[in-house]
Amino acid sequence: MTAATSSEAPTTGVIGRRDGVERGARRWRRDYASMLRWHLASLRIWMATLMSVQVLSGVGFVLGISLFFDHIPQAVALFVATGVPVINLLMVGLILGPQLVADQKVTGSYDYLRSMPVSRSVTAAAWYTVCLIGGVPAMVVSLAVAQLRYDLALHVSLMIVPAVLLSCFTATMLGYALGHGVGNPMATRLITQMLIFVVFGYTPIIFPITQMPGWLGALNWWFPFRHMAVVVRAALTPGPHPGVASAYVILAVWAAARSALAGRALGRRP
Amino acid sequence: MTVQEEAQRPVPQAPSGELRSGAPYWAASLRSMLRFDYGRMRAWAPMMMGLQTMTGAGMAVMYGFLYPNITETRALYITTGAATLALIPLGFVMLPSAVAQQKTEGTFDYVWSLPSPRSAQAVSTFVLYTFLALPGAVLALLVSKWRYGVNLSPSLLLVPAVLLCAMVAITVGYGLALAIPNPMVTNVVTNALMFVVLLFSPIVFPASQLPDWLFAVHRVLPFYNMAVVIRAGLTVGLESDVTTSFLVLIAWTAAGCATTGWVVGHRR
Repeated sequence: MTAATSSEAPTTGVIGRRDGVERGARRWRRDYASMLRWHLASLRIWMATLMSVQVLSGVGFVLGISLFFDHIPQAVALFVATGVPVINLLMVGLILGPQLVADQKVTGSYDYLRSMPVSRSVTAAAWYTVCLIGGVPAMVVSLAVAQLRYDLALHVSLMIVPAVLLSCFTATMLGYALGHGVGNPMATRLITQMLIFVVFGYTPIIFPITQMPGWLGALNWWFPFRHMAVVVRAALTPGPHPGVASAYVILAVWAAARSALAGRALGRRP
Repeated sequence: MTVQEEAQRPVPQAPSGELRSGAPYWAASLRSMLRFDYGRMRAWAPMMMGLQTMTGAGMAVMYGFLYPNITETRALYITTGAATLALIPLGFVMLPSAVAQQKTEGTFDYVWSLPSPRSAQAVSTFVLYTFLALPGAVLALLVSKWRYGVNLSPSLLLVPAVLLCAMVAITVGYGLALAIPNPMVTNVVTNALMFVVLLFSPIVFPASQLPDWLFAVHRVLPFYNMAVVIRAGLTVGLESDVTTSFLVLIAWTAAGCATTGWVVGHRR
């Protein structure tokens, strides 16, 4: 071992030290840092690909939607511009997360990761951070391109921080419960393919809820996706936003329920 | 074993007197390959049709949500685009990914090692996928007709149009899957293609809404031309320049067949 690594070891590297069991916030923080480093290092190529795909698809959607109209109405452009960031956030946690877990199950690294002596909350928190790192840059780029292309009246308020954090958390926990709860990797892949289609086309994220049939809109009230769009849009546009408080509540309930499910799935011994 | 016994033993692979070339042999090979491929595909066929209905009918319904108000022209464009949307994923995504999976599993090499002409193997795939493609396309058309309530006036032109579109998607998709050796690359290419098709191709909206340079690109690519010929078969007076589109599609089919022929004609 070189001098550099041995001086580094007490602060970050070693997870379980020889001198007894360590508990509490310090241990949690150190485990979290190790897991985050682990994820970022092992996924570096995946992350680079993911970010470029995210940026390309976000920008592509923002620009492509104008082709559907002779002259795109400002309201439509605003809806798309504030909806695509939500899709960006959803993509990593809800769709790619479970697919990655499915891949890990096939290659065997899943069992290895589960054998690590870190708590479930550390594993989840580290993964949540990875999802934020994967989603937020694409979200910013999509918004910037939309602003440049359509010259929108955006008004970014501080509420964007809780809106993004909670939306990403709910999406990540949904994907987490899916990835860890469903045993068969092939089934996970199929479910996520279905999900991306449904979320993209049949939830009022990139278009107003009034443009879909009433019953479908009502059905969407029970799912978190519509509410993610509501809270993010409220933080990005000026004016009064009815229903933001209830959207936060529903999102929080979904986040709590899914975290419990994910925790159970993670804690179950195979 | 004596020399005499050796001589009397039946030769297992090619019995003397049976010629392993010519039209009858090719037709017999095609028949066997069709049975073989159908047997393999039977389990997957319902899923493929489900996925196809989802992309075709599902996308047609979804495109409607994007518009604040749906005029009659918009509804007509979306409805007539639905059949095209059902055909494209089957040929450009499902067929290449099926081939990619066969390559990973080793089935692909096994099929090539069979004593049947590779052209018969390719034709068998084309025929089966064409038959598989048609019900999904019709279903997509019916669902979107019901959803938007438009009046269509189908003409006889629809038959060659749909057949040719299915052939274009399948031959080009197959050529693509064969020409790209790495299954991962095939996957990336087909996904990128779908993105371009669903967002940037004038299938469910008039081509006049595109910038000129993008329209120029689409006149050469197959997607827009597929939409044109199917739309011409379903409506009267909406599309005028059908001949060019047919020619472009025929050229793409020929290119797909040529690529397939070139790849299967080479030993590795």
